[in-house]
Amino acid sequence: MFKALINVAARRFVGAIPTILLLSIVVFFVLRALPADPLAMMLPPNATQADAEAVRHALGLDRSIVIQYLIWLGDALRGDLGTSISFREPVTRLIANSLPATLELSAAGLLLALVISIPGGLLLYGARGTLFENILDVLVVCMVSIPAFLWAIFLMLGFGVTLGWLPFSGRVDPGIAIPAGGTGFLLIDYFFTFQFGYWQNALSHLVLPALALALGFSPLVIRVLRSSLLEASDDHYVEVARQRGLSERQIILKHMLRNSALPTITLIGAQFGFLFGGTLLVETIFSYPGIGNLMVQAVRNHDLPLIQGIALVFCVTTLLINTVVDVLYVVLNPKLRRA
Amino acid sequence: MSDTVSTPVAATAAPLVKPAARTPSPVMEAFRSAIRSPKVVVGGIIVLVVTICALFAPQIAPNDPDNQDLINMLLPPMWAEGGDAQYPFGTDSLGRCIFSQMIYGARVALEVGFGAAVGAMLLGTALALLAGYFGGWIDRIISHFVDLWMSLPPVVLSLTLMVGFGTGVGNVILAIVLVDWTRFCRVVRSDVMVVARRDFVSAAKLLGFGHTRIILREILPGVAPLIITLFTLQIGIGVIVEAILSFVGMSVPADVPAWGKMIAGARNYMYQAPWGMMLPIIAIFVTVLGFNLLGEGLRVTLDPRLRKRSV
Repeated sequence: MFKALINVAARRFVGAIPTILLLSIVVFFVLRALPADPLAMMLPPNATQADAEAVRHALGLDRSIVIQYLIWLGDALRGDLGTSISFREPVTRLIANSLPATLELSAAGLLLALVISIPGGLLLYGARGTLFENILDVLVVCMVSIPAFLWAIFLMLGFGVTLGWLPFSGRVDPGIAIPAGGTGFLLIDYFFTFQFGYWQNALSHLVLPALALALGFSPLVIRVLRSSLLEASDDHYVEVARQRGLSERQIILKHMLRNSALPTITLIGAQFGFLFGGTLLVETIFSYPGIGNLMVQAVRNHDLPLIQGIALVFCVTTLLINTVVDVLYVVLNPKLRRA
Repeated sequence: MSDTVSTPVAATAAPLVKPAARTPSPVMEAFRSAIRSPKVVVGGIIVLVVTICALFAPQIAPNDPDNQDLINMLLPPMWAEGGDAQYPFGTDSLGRCIFSQMIYGARVALEVGFGAAVGAMLLGTALALLAGYFGGWIDRIISHFVDLWMSLPPVVLSLTLMVGFGTGVGNVILAIVLVDWTRFCRVVRSDVMVVARRDFVSAAKLLGFGHTRIILREILPGVAPLIITLFTLQIGIGVIVEAILSFVGMSVPADVPAWGKMIAGARNYMYQAPWGMMLPIIAIFVTVLGFNLLGEGLRVTLDPRLRKRSV
């Protein structure tokens, strides 16, 4: 089994290389079509033509675009993504500082999505053939029509502004120190340094953005779960279990749910980019300092090195998650283990 | 057409009694079963209303959406205390009529949604027909490229494209087309492969029809229900993406009203004027819901095979 896992992971890894290259090429060349000159934002207003040429040469902007790309790629492979134009800091440092926040948020969002959609899928399956199913079905269509960023605003207006139950800005209250040198995952860092008050504060800041992501993602999961439960209900093992005298609840919870886990996990893997991409707007709305927020700022500032770097990180992270999902798939599916 | 019967029993029994002079056209059949679906009806009505708002915005809107009434800034809706009947849904921070902006916002939303759906449909379907019909290396190249393209995160890709292209309705449409054509291509391709194996396609080949004719006259009608469904759902997706891009300020120029831009503008005043954010949100939700209901309803009524498919 271990061998099969390594096989899958290795195949995935090799398969990911062309994707990453393609993305880097697309992003690099598209951004060079930009009507604005990135130099204009870097130079002081009193710069002379000679100054501009000097900077242009220093950045390699006077060479052909293919050479520029190859230089960028070579630097990127060595872990250097250049310097942000607007923040005047290395892109890698900016990303390293904000990526854990986004990963924490996405993980919390995914967890909440499962908490919402597993009962949701079961409910929808249980209601099959009744009038109640039609009502639930319309509710799911409504949910599909509300993307994560609209949920974010709803939740912020409802629970944040109107009710005042939960904070809706940043990762912690202003004035609370973000631990330096930790993992960057606040829930982990505060927990292991026994700062439980801060831990609670970070958790309360996480609830609304994570819920927004989860609500945007869960209708997809609910649907797949429902349809795979429906498919499973025709299977032989369900009939056998019925004849063995198991109750319907036992059959669903012990047998069908486990079999429906595979298609659901596949969907989560395939659509993780959807959830992860949702962080862009959700983080912006909640002023949450993750790479989604950073990306939106970079886009607004036309900060090319930062945009390229973040796009690359988004792509690599999504592919890594896909790899994890594939490995998980092998672990869960006995049929694939022998392969 | 009026003498054709619509109950399924009678429809199948009729030819046995006497050869029907005219078989009901499949398009009419589909139309009849579609208007019996509540989803199609409700979705269709919503889409119709939004479309009318967009087309006749100057006639419907009570005010010029760009007109700034600086004496009446952040007015509440007319039913709330301090509201003014001249501004049914109140005004924003610059004293612009929120209701009029909502009506005009439908224009950009539908322009982008519709335009992008047409583009994505044409590009995706054309490649899907080639891949599914010819198979072999053409299929391998196209499918591989689709897989590759789909593994790029959509929001990141579209934002990057917008930075490169610059703002404007045309560029928003182009960006969405370039991101979403794969959705059409992947789904339609597998349907094309199924249809291409049917007997009437083999018959057409034996009769010596050219590839173009077979693709356009034999296969395309077979996959049309799927394309119509995807097209409808894609408009909803386009409306959402436009809202996202205009929220970030990457969509249309400053003087064009758009729902995402209204939300972004109202964000700074959410304590004093939360309705300024709620109203464009409701507009986006209702519009997308309309297209989703219509699309889902059509999916079931046009193509029973799709009933069990999840995505």
